[in-house]
Amino acid sequence: MQRLNRDTIVAIILLALCGVFFYVSFDIRTPEFERLAPGQMDPGLWPRIILSGLVLMALIYLAQSVISPPADQEERGGLNGWYRHYRNPIHCFLAFGAFMLLIPYLGMLLAGMLFVFGMMTMLGGRERWLIGTHATVSVCTVGGMWFIFACLLSVQLPRSSLFPDAEEWLLVNICGISEAIGGLFAAAPRACAVILV
Amino acid sequence: MIENILIAGAELWSVGTLLLMALGVVAGLIAGAIPGFTIAMAVVLVLPFTFGMSPVQGLGTMIGVYVGGLSGGLMSGILTGIPGTPSSVATTFDGFPLARGGKAGLALGVGVWASFFGGVIGAIVLVLVAPQLARIGQEFQPWDYFALMAFALTVTASLAGENMVKGLIAGLIGLLVATVGEDSVVGVPRFTFGVDSVQQGFAFLPVLVGLFAFSRLLADVRDSESAKGNLGAKSDASIRINHLVAATEVLKRWGNLVRSSLIGVFTGVLPAAGSSISNILAYDQARKYSKTPEKFGTGHLDGIVAPEAANNATAGGALIVMMALGIPGDIITAVMLGALLIHDVVPSPTFITEQPVIAYAIFIAFFMANFMMLALQSVTLRGFVRVTQVKIYMLASVILFYCALGVFALNNVEFDIWTLFWFGVLGFVMSALGFPIVPVILGVVLGGIAENALAQVIALSDDPTHFVTRPWSLFFIVLGLFSSFFHVYQRQRGRKRWTLVFIPAMCICLSVPVAMMDGIVRPVLAALLVVGGLYLLYQRHREGWVVMTEDQGEAPTIAEGGP
Repeated sequence: MQRLNRDTIVAIILLALCGVFFYVSFDIRTPEFERLAPGQMDPGLWPRIILSGLVLMALIYLAQSVISPPADQEERGGLNGWYRHYRNPIHCFLAFGAFMLLIPYLGMLLAGMLFVFGMMTMLGGRERWLIGTHATVSVCTVGGMWFIFACLLSVQLPRSSLFPDAEEWLLVNICGISEAIGGLFAAAPRACAVILV
Repeated sequence: MIENILIAGAELWSVGTLLLMALGVVAGLIAGAIPGFTIAMAVVLVLPFTFGMSPVQGLGTMIGVYVGGLSGGLMSGILTGIPGTPSSVATTFDGFPLARGGKAGLALGVGVWASFFGGVIGAIVLVLVAPQLARIGQEFQPWDYFALMAFALTVTASLAGENMVKGLIAGLIGLLVATVGEDSVVGVPRFTFGVDSVQQGFAFLPVLVGLFAFSRLLADVRDSESAKGNLGAKSDASIRINHLVAATEVLKRWGNLVRSSLIGVFTGVLPAAGSSISNILAYDQARKYSKTPEKFGTGHLDGIVAPEAANNATAGGALIVMMALGIPGDIITAVMLGALLIHDVVPSPTFITEQPVIAYAIFIAFFMANFMMLALQSVTLRGFVRVTQVKIYMLASVILFYCALGVFALNNVEFDIWTLFWFGVLGFVMSALGFPIVPVILGVVLGGIAENALAQVIALSDDPTHFVTRPWSLFFIVLGLFSSFFHVYQRQRGRKRWTLVFIPAMCICLSVPVAMMDGIVRPVLAALLVVGGLYLLYQRHREGWVVMTEDQGEAPTIAEGGP
């Protein structure tokens, strides 16, 4: 039997997903106490119109993939070959997932530094001099962006639950210093004017 | 009108806004100059910074990035032979040979001034045309508006390249994503699968950054060897531009300049046809009209003027569509529409009349951004050479973190980072399977607006014949049908017999709704369309309905492989 081509599999998955969404779309019900006024659109209508279009397109896609299959894809040697081909993106997704899981414990600053350092070391290599460069770049770039968002834009970034005092100290001192410098800049023209007068 | 211009001008002419716009232009110039780093990605990454700004400041900054990005591509194109963005592909054909011949300063100068003049011509057309087009927009009823949305979505099919069906599937997936969460009419949750965080729907920014930037960055680092490489400029940072000579050279070629700019504006007006197409079209026309076409590809100045004027003018055209009709002309204006939504400004055909201050601020900002680009291009030349020494994997790692930080800053909700992650996965998988990403984004942007228009249609009448009896609605339906097949037509033009009647049929079909419109001008236009269509049919008949056979093929075009 001829092996299913990639497009056929994708079309079948799409049709299955459309089926699931269609099924779920019938659960979209207006509450009893909020009856639809005459001429008011049913909340499930628009999703069902979209899903109908999607089903139609998926069927055409399926037919296309069967009638004129795509040219032979590059042979990647099964699951191992596929993994080798997409190794870097998969590792990056895993690293990003780990970063998100670490945020509640380490906070945005520390988790971010670890993530950037980990990504760079994973993609760029583990030589000693490179590790030093990666550490410096991650501290400077993540620290710099954290400073812009936390101190200059006053965004409440996720705090660390493991080291709350250290992060509080950083916020108070670094943002405090930046505020003081900002104050000096703001006062400078007035001071100059006073001196000149 | 004067009052609106003054209010908009006052908001833009503050030191803070000017500084932000200048920063935007510099960011755009550098981002545009980095091969593989698209202008859209730069605009997307700037978006989180604009939340704390007023809509005028935010849009001014993004327009700065847009204009800067369009011009930035010429730096790497001329100095390294690798176009920074697809919008400067044709610039490399003559820019790189000229730079290699020792005239890098002249090549850059001509490119910069052509970009500037192209941008200014685009801005003039924008100011003149958009308000007129917006007056037409005021005639639209919900049926017309829904048909317009449907038309904008069918155009996404042409973004799919080889496979129209994949483009439509991608657009429909975008629409489906926009339905997740509470519906806007009754407030009933849809497709939440019991997850409370999805109750409010997906925030636009994480979806956009995930689909576009996140997935793209991961694609950039897929190959370990290329990820370890740098971005590649080995040029001398001490190149000097003689602006007087360069400006004179560009103005000497005013015919080419104006023609290319108008090609750019026209291409920008067509939904989904952006600067990546206009620069090649303009180059092709410049070569056809040139007295010395054989010199193209060897460092001819006309070959730099045409694409650079066209790509900057395209922004004016794309902004015309965005402001006059409330639909995106390209991916960058789609992001800007998203930015307007974030600032609670709903884009619609009545945008210019309802939000005149923001509209005029966009006009003025577009003008100013072109002047800023001119002033800042020389400065960023050094920055560009420095940035290109950075390794790709380092840039990708830092930008990935920045994406997470930026989307979190929107609502201070950690769930938005998860949204970014999942849509990053979706974008990567879709790209790997050959589905285009841009239609998904257009679907997400237009989904809510289209649903609201449909709700209004149903509330007003249950008679669906209004869609075909109202002239504008019928006009967009006909246009949508023909535009869906336009890509197939382009591929098979002259090879299949049906392509010979495609354009005449479109003209004749479009004449029907135009003839149904009020006034004198439009029925006259309809008559002209019919006459034009019949004349084309007569011409084909006289030529004997000749089509090329398969083995005849066509000579390779510029788009396929250089001049």
